[in-house]
Amino acid sequence: MTMEQVWLLPAIPAGVFVILSLFNRVLPRRGDFVAVLGMGTVVVLAVLAIADFQGAFHDGHFAPAPGANTYEFTWVNIGDGVLRIMFSTYFDAITAVMVFVVSFVALMVFLFSIGYMHGEERYGWYFAVLSLFAGAMLLLVTTNSLIFLYLAWEGVGLTSYLLIGFYWERQSAAEAAKKAFITTRVGDVGFLIGIILLWRVAGTFDIQELIHLAEEGAFSETYLTVSMIFLFMGAVGKSAQFPLHVWLPDAMEGPTPVSALIHAATMVVAGVYLVARTLPIFDLVPIAQNFVLYTGLFTAVMAATQGLVANDIKRVLAYSTVSQLGFMFVALGLGSVTAAMFHLLTHAFFKSLLFLGSGSVIHATHQQEVEHLGGLWRKLPITTVTFSIGSLALAGIVPFAGFWSKDEILLEAFELNPFAYAVLAGTAALTALYTTRVVLLTFAGRPRDQHAYDHAHESGPIMLLPLVLLATLALGSGFVAFDGVGRALGFVGGIGQVVTSHGEPHSFAFHPNIAVPATVLALLAIGAGFEYWGGNAIRAERARQWAPELHALLVNRYYMDNLYQAFIDRVVLGLAGIVARFEKSVVNESGVDGGAQTLNWMGFRLKFLQTGRIPNYALGMALGVLVLSIFALGGGE
Amino acid sequence: MTHNYGLLAPEFILFGFAMLVVAVDTFRSQFKVGSAVLAATAGVGALAALGASVAMAGVHEEFGEILVVDEFTTFFRILFAATVVVVIAMSHEFVGKHIRHPGEFYSLLLLSTIGATFMAAARELLTAYIAIEVLSFSLYVAVSLAKTDPRSGEAGLKYVLLGGVASAMLLYGLSLLYGSGGSTSYEVLREAFAEQAGEASALTLVGLAMVIGGLAFKASAVPFHMWTPDAYEGAPLPITAYLSATSKAATFALLLRLLSGPLEPLIEDWRWMLATLSVATMVVGNLVALQQHNIKRLLAYSSIGQVGFMLMALVALSDQSTSALLLHLSGYLITNLAVFTAVIAFYNRTGREEIEDFRGLAETQPYLAVVITAGLFSLSGMPLLAGFATKFLLFQAAASGGYLWLSGLAVVMSTISLYYYLQVVKQMYFFEPSGDASRWRLTPSGYVLTAVLLVVMVIVGLYFGPLYEVADTAAGALFA
Repeated sequence: MTMEQVWLLPAIPAGVFVILSLFNRVLPRRGDFVAVLGMGTVVVLAVLAIADFQGAFHDGHFAPAPGANTYEFTWVNIGDGVLRIMFSTYFDAITAVMVFVVSFVALMVFLFSIGYMHGEERYGWYFAVLSLFAGAMLLLVTTNSLIFLYLAWEGVGLTSYLLIGFYWERQSAAEAAKKAFITTRVGDVGFLIGIILLWRVAGTFDIQELIHLAEEGAFSETYLTVSMIFLFMGAVGKSAQFPLHVWLPDAMEGPTPVSALIHAATMVVAGVYLVARTLPIFDLVPIAQNFVLYTGLFTAVMAATQGLVANDIKRVLAYSTVSQLGFMFVALGLGSVTAAMFHLLTHAFFKSLLFLGSGSVIHATHQQEVEHLGGLWRKLPITTVTFSIGSLALAGIVPFAGFWSKDEILLEAFELNPFAYAVLAGTAALTALYTTRVVLLTFAGRPRDQHAYDHAHESGPIMLLPLVLLATLALGSGFVAFDGVGRALGFVGGIGQVVTSHGEPHSFAFHPNIAVPATVLALLAIGAGFEYWGGNAIRAERARQWAPELHALLVNRYYMDNLYQAFIDRVVLGLAGIVARFEKSVVNESGVDGGAQTLNWMGFRLKFLQTGRIPNYALGMALGVLVLSIFALGGGE
Repeated sequence: MTHNYGLLAPEFILFGFAMLVVAVDTFRSQFKVGSAVLAATAGVGALAALGASVAMAGVHEEFGEILVVDEFTTFFRILFAATVVVVIAMSHEFVGKHIRHPGEFYSLLLLSTIGATFMAAARELLTAYIAIEVLSFSLYVAVSLAKTDPRSGEAGLKYVLLGGVASAMLLYGLSLLYGSGGSTSYEVLREAFAEQAGEASALTLVGLAMVIGGLAFKASAVPFHMWTPDAYEGAPLPITAYLSATSKAATFALLLRLLSGPLEPLIEDWRWMLATLSVATMVVGNLVALQQHNIKRLLAYSSIGQVGFMLMALVALSDQSTSALLLHLSGYLITNLAVFTAVIAFYNRTGREEIEDFRGLAETQPYLAVVITAGLFSLSGMPLLAGFATKFLLFQAAASGGYLWLSGLAVVMSTISLYYYLQVVKQMYFFEPSGDASRWRLTPSGYVLTAVLLVVMVIVGLYFGPLYEVADTAAGALFA
């Protein structure tokens, strides 16, 4: 397995999907082992490809032999280049991070799902769609063609839709699936426009070629700015950034392992990946890059405040995901691929850990509102410990993974944009606060729902294994910042040496003036969390009564969902009513029905030409030739 | 002068196996073996011919003055050999039930394929004519082979009588062209007509009209199409499939050779003729299809409508439009064979062929319903399936050749065609199966054959690049 053969990674889960969707009913155990084996193979192959990638470094720089990290063949070639679409893959440091994250987290989620989804009626279909998702996601991160990227982009959107609506018998799940699909589609339209705009000038969909052309000045600056902002719209939708973030909290209607895989670790970071992949182009257009920066910054704060008041344990995590994605976009807006990809890596591990942990809680209690939980640490010790590790990582406490990657982003902000630094530091404190809240309300204190508590019991080993493995990574994956750790793993150095921004490797350096205040702030926030929500949370109740309007504003998500709903109800549906009346009377009744009846009548008339009598047929032929000849002679003279 | 007979290896194989089938058939009753042995013999022959054709890909050599084996010939040779393999595979159960002379059935299939290939390979008028007759005579007999069905005899008689008229017309036209051009060789004729370009003699023009009329009969273009619904309805189902596939494609192969070769200098004289035929064919074919109740007649009119679309590529004749036409022909053949395989399986089980009889098939045999739906959607040009990609390129070629109005009309007619295809789909999915109908299974070969065709249909729909390149190479041989 070399970097050239990376196309195998999406091909395997796609094949598993075909097998499972056709034969899951006849396979033993509904074929879940096929999915797990397929994903296991992908993990092994991904690691091998990364090993090959490690070998392509020379003098500390990624310098593969020409063609060693690409693979392509012509998909369609019409008129010798008029329309040429290539299937192509490309492997570099960004790809390496992505394939490892996607395949590893997917395998963990697959394993967890065996326990969590046990006994579901559509068990086989669940694994089929999950495999299709893995295939689409792997294609998304390995392809070098914008067309295939878009195809995979829609593929993950489709599977996300199917899985959010997995319990489609429940009205809210069906609604949430629809909302997710439509909201992300809004961004996708922009993405497609961006792709077409770039193609119009460059005549290619090849990402590396586009970067090259842009750097050579093939586009005018205004044109490129507009194109990249359109492209970024796709990222805004997929990565749930303001103003298209509204779908992600509702997406928690899906099975919890799905939330862990799709709505925390992989699909929602597709937008981050897209911007990171095209960052050399964003670098050329400061306006678009600032657009990315401020979108991320605003989303980070806004979502964190909503996370403070949400009652559903999964929704808290969803808001936190939105907020952390904002962090990554800030890093990209500041031009740092390193910081963004590093945070993506650690976040994928600790956030999927948190989701799977919440899945373990839900599996044990069948409750997911914090009002019905509490005191579970006695019943679910392993879940409590792993969940706490994930929370510490999220809160950015040394030495957990989140600390190192968040520190990297804060450092970039500190140097380049003090305002962004101040906002992010505040947001990090908020993060620590709401994380503490959810941990305390779930695991500490006294049980608020005695019935649920009594029946709770720790999950089986098949569900605990992924928790423990992910907890290990949530604890340890931050250390890849250090050159020594990176070299021990076979890389050329720490993550700054491998995933470079602007092609300039840098080593990790400890900056006490950033790390110390950040840690102190986070610890203070945790302390405040204990003060407010520890014990019986009396102070939290008092705080709520102190400013009920503020609380209502946050609980109602700044009324954004209401605003959208009102817009749809009043404006969209109002317009639709007018169009529908026109369509019914003019288009349908006179146009379509009238046209159809006319055509049917003509067919009815014409069918009598078919008499069934041979002389008539022969006459028709003779007349045909006669007419052709006469006109030929007439026209010739 | 020595000839390289090895060039014709696939045809020798087909001929040899056709004779073998007849021989085996003669002794069959003595050894008390069923018709399976004949199907197997014919199948082996067809596969061998297919293998030989594939092995000979890339050959570019002339056989005397009469035939040429180039990329274009090879393209159709492979297409026809593959078609006959599929038709033999889909026939076995049907032949056992409805055909009293299985030996003739299989040997005629093999023999007519030789005629079809020579139509694509001919480089001389008389050879072309004889090739047409080889194909036609085989089919006249084959159409009337369902002795248990009175419609079969009637269809055969109509086909042979009208075929005679068309044949006479064609031959007369050819003789006029010979008289005007002084030779039967395509190359010589091309030079002769190049001198006449723009001011062709009356002799040439009348000859041209008669040749086009005669070939329009074989292609079932309006108003030369009237035999088609009757013959399609009366013929045994596998023969109907074969008629709609090989017979039609061979005619287009011959037309392409003629129009891009000897008749190319007269393009301004025949272009409007074909445009007229194209318009009449797509309008009449699609509109009358709206009124059909029998699945075979429906498919007959649908195939007439499709001919209208294909003629567009000849009107806008160019390298590009020929590639598009070849691609469309292959996609159309695959799709049509899939639909017919499914319809035959249905007929074998129920013995019915009215569209109403398909009601509730989605419940009694959901797999077959999917195959038929996919096939009909592909015929109408739905995305994801072969029909979309190939039709898109065909229409695009016509439009970029300066015939935007014609492809506009084709799009409208294509939309109308969806209506009658959906009638069948509606019966299968929106109605309950009638009374006593219960779930049933296909034969194993039925499952395999339809699955293969379905998969190919989807692959061509999504990833037509390689097939397009093959078609492009074949078209290149005409325009070198």
